[in-house]
Amino acid sequence: MNAEWHLKHKGVSHSQITRLYSRFTSLDKGENGTLSREDFQRIPELAINPLGDRIINAFFPEGEDQVNFRGFMRTLAHFRPIEDNEKSKDQNGPEPLNSRSNKLHFAFRLYDLDKDDKISRDELLQVLRMMVGVNISDEQLGSIADRTIQEADQDGDSAISFAEFVK
Amino acid sequence: MEGQRPGCRAAAAVLAGSLLSSVLRATRVRALRGSPPMPLLEDVIPENVSWAAEEAQGNESSEHAFFSLDYQHVQVPFEITLWIMLASLAKIGFHLYNKLPSVVPESCLLIFVGLIMGGIIYGLNDKSPPVMDSDIFFLYLLPPIVLDAGYFMPSRPFFENIGTILLYAVVGTVWNVFGIGFSLYGICQVKAFHLQDVSLLHNLLFGSLIAAVDPVAVLAVFEEIHVNEKLHILVFGESLLNDAVTVVLYKLFRSFCEMPTIKSVDVFAGVGKFFVVGLGGVLVGLIFGMTAAFTTRFTKDIRVIEPLFVFLYSYLSYLTAEMFHLSGIVAIIACAMGMKRYVEANISLKSHTTVKYFMKMWSSVSDTLIFIFLGVSTIGENHEWNWPYICFTVIFCLIWRALGVLVLTFFVNRFHVNTITSKDQFIIAYGGLRGAICFSLVFLLPDFPRKKLFIAATTVVILFTVFVQVKTIWGSPADVKLIFVFVVMLQGMTIRPLVDLLAVKRKRESAPTVGEQIHIRFLDHLLAGIEDISGHWGQYYWKDKLEYFNSKYLQKILLREYDQPKSSIVLLYEKLERKHAIELAEAGQLGHAPSHPSLLNDRTVIIDKKLEDALNPDVLENIQEILARNLYRIRRTGPAYNRHTLPGEAEPVERAKEILILRHKSLRVEVSGSDTASSRKEKDDSYSARGDSSTRPRLCRSFTVGNAEKVREVKRNRSKSVCVIPPPQPSSTAWGEKKEMEKELTLEM
Repeated sequence: MNAEWHLKHKGVSHSQITRLYSRFTSLDKGENGTLSREDFQRIPELAINPLGDRIINAFFPEGEDQVNFRGFMRTLAHFRPIEDNEKSKDQNGPEPLNSRSNKLHFAFRLYDLDKDDKISRDELLQVLRMMVGVNISDEQLGSIADRTIQEADQDGDSAISFAEFVK
Repeated sequence: MEGQRPGCRAAAAVLAGSLLSSVLRATRVRALRGSPPMPLLEDVIPENVSWAAEEAQGNESSEHAFFSLDYQHVQVPFEITLWIMLASLAKIGFHLYNKLPSVVPESCLLIFVGLIMGGIIYGLNDKSPPVMDSDIFFLYLLPPIVLDAGYFMPSRPFFENIGTILLYAVVGTVWNVFGIGFSLYGICQVKAFHLQDVSLLHNLLFGSLIAAVDPVAVLAVFEEIHVNEKLHILVFGESLLNDAVTVVLYKLFRSFCEMPTIKSVDVFAGVGKFFVVGLGGVLVGLIFGMTAAFTTRFTKDIRVIEPLFVFLYSYLSYLTAEMFHLSGIVAIIACAMGMKRYVEANISLKSHTTVKYFMKMWSSVSDTLIFIFLGVSTIGENHEWNWPYICFTVIFCLIWRALGVLVLTFFVNRFHVNTITSKDQFIIAYGGLRGAICFSLVFLLPDFPRKKLFIAATTVVILFTVFVQVKTIWGSPADVKLIFVFVVMLQGMTIRPLVDLLAVKRKRESAPTVGEQIHIRFLDHLLAGIEDISGHWGQYYWKDKLEYFNSKYLQKILLREYDQPKSSIVLLYEKLERKHAIELAEAGQLGHAPSHPSLLNDRTVIIDKKLEDALNPDVLENIQEILARNLYRIRRTGPAYNRHTLPGEAEPVERAKEILILRHKSLRVEVSGSDTASSRKEKDDSYSARGDSSTRPRLCRSFTVGNAEKVREVKRNRSKSVCVIPPPQPSSTAWGEKKEMEKELTLEM
């Protein structure tokens, strides 16, 4: 774990790294240096978070079941608050992970399960169903989803693209 | 005719208690006025009795009445019960009249009732109504409330914020005390107010008792504002913990009052005493808590008295701490929090329910009684009105509290990521309510010439904060012309509109669109989840250590075998699953999954129609309303502790269970789907299988009433197919129903 590399590329400070690492190790019950999905699922509050599963999935790169500390930190680095002094630095380098558009992209990916860069009506329905109670019927949810798409959709493809999401 | 009079009197006394008996007495003859006035309520009645007895004897000496009135025999318990009955009936009355609770909250109304009763008693008997005895308050009325608070205190938010809470409680209280004391002393120096005889020490003494934020009042008030969890726990925790500081300072200044000279050694002794009081209280509490847990380990065969142990040990811890002049409140809280985990795992489910309900009941009764007594005691001749002093007391209370909160929050925010916003700060400052504790403390003051002034000032401050803050919570800051005695009614009543105002100002002018609402809520959930994953790093280290200590040593000593909680959790899970299945069947939702593909096919046809519908403003309103009502709230936006409902029954918990059940269903659907459809990769299958088997245990664990870690160990060996381990006891009907439900769901696939 190269602290300087992290500092430079992600702007995470040293104390934050140490804290995250201690959190990582305390989550890692199997002590093999990686976290599996079960390790995440052990966090009790995540169980009652409607989006818990999707958030957990976001940590794992495509097709893998384990995440090491670097990946862990990388995902969490999206959520650092944006600091002003970083904006002027590094204009030529890759955009820092916690920029607004990257944060939004992260959220977008949680909606978009099939990764076609659009949120279709069904994906929206799925998310809605997760966030809303059992009292809502399917038709009502459907109309809510339609309304949402209708409000945001500008190119008329009945789905929300990332650009539309950002607005 | 003659024989009916004792009967009438008996009936009247039974019906209306002390109030009507006073009325009766007054309407008859005021002949007995010459009896010496005594402050206890009980003495009002014997006069009635002796008079009744006299009359009865005088007029009916020849008859042996069939109905004889022997009031004195049952006097004390009778009156106590009648007071409690009156209080409870008043509560029912408030809730029956639906409009009232939304305008004025309960504690306010209770004080009103108390005031009215006090006024009536005063008017009829022409002497001061009974004053609430400090002993009664501290020994009988306060412990149930604090026990209730400590037992149901959500320990996670509490310990996450413990640093902040301690800072506010200790430093904030000391700041308030000295601030108020010194500024009041400054006021006393002003010649115009004729207050020079009130010395600095007296002022400091007064400051120490008036500065303490009161848990009773805070609880009563805050549960109606619905602030978020963190804020709630901050103010509430602070109000509980500042008892230690208050006790020390109060006793310190009081002993200083009696000493001729004060040396600096005494001051240092005072500081040291604070640590002794606080830590000693915690120690006493923990000892009793552990003993209680240990005792419940052996109560397997006498389930009926299990709840009793909980109450006995807690009360003992309180009394023991008070005996040693330690902080009883801190002790009882430490006891409750310490024993909760182990006791809940050891006692049966029914005992557990009993404990919870009894606690709520007792604390409710105490609460009501306190407010009524407050009202009653304010009427009377105990007060000396010096308006400048009183007004300045109120003003200084507000100012110093606000300053204290500002300064402390500034320090707190530098160390924490989750800052306390200025809106929160305002609520903390404003929510610093004084209540019955100050009131009792002021009556405990040694008699010196200005004692009555202090009593008056305390009363005003309490009523000010309670009325003002309490009424404001609910509503129209308008009509505040309430009581002829008290002039300014600002604080409590205005808190709610102010909160709303502050929140509204940050909102945008236009209502958010549906999509935005959804996305915002989505993002909030996401952030809450990420917060949980990243955790609170500082405390987690200690928590881990504590968990380790717990599992290695404490659990072995204090808990019985592990079988017990396993089956109770499973039973609970089964019950919930059954309930949910019934609900789903009723709502016709079992066809949820199959409807999905059909939606895809008819999409093009339906979508045009739906688009038209969606444009309709009515539908839009409907949608907004649906969303507002039904979107799951973020975990952190609800109150952490509620006086009137049990933790397992509050709405957010119901929602949480719904979420879990939904996810469970959807995962099960996935699993069955992936079993049959072979389109997925092998890995996905194994993931779903693994995820499923680990999801279910997680689900089960979340319904835990006992110890979470134990359950987790147990669940690891579960098989994939069905969550329920076949323990020997669940009824066959439950088992059967569950199987049917399973069958239904798989059939629909």
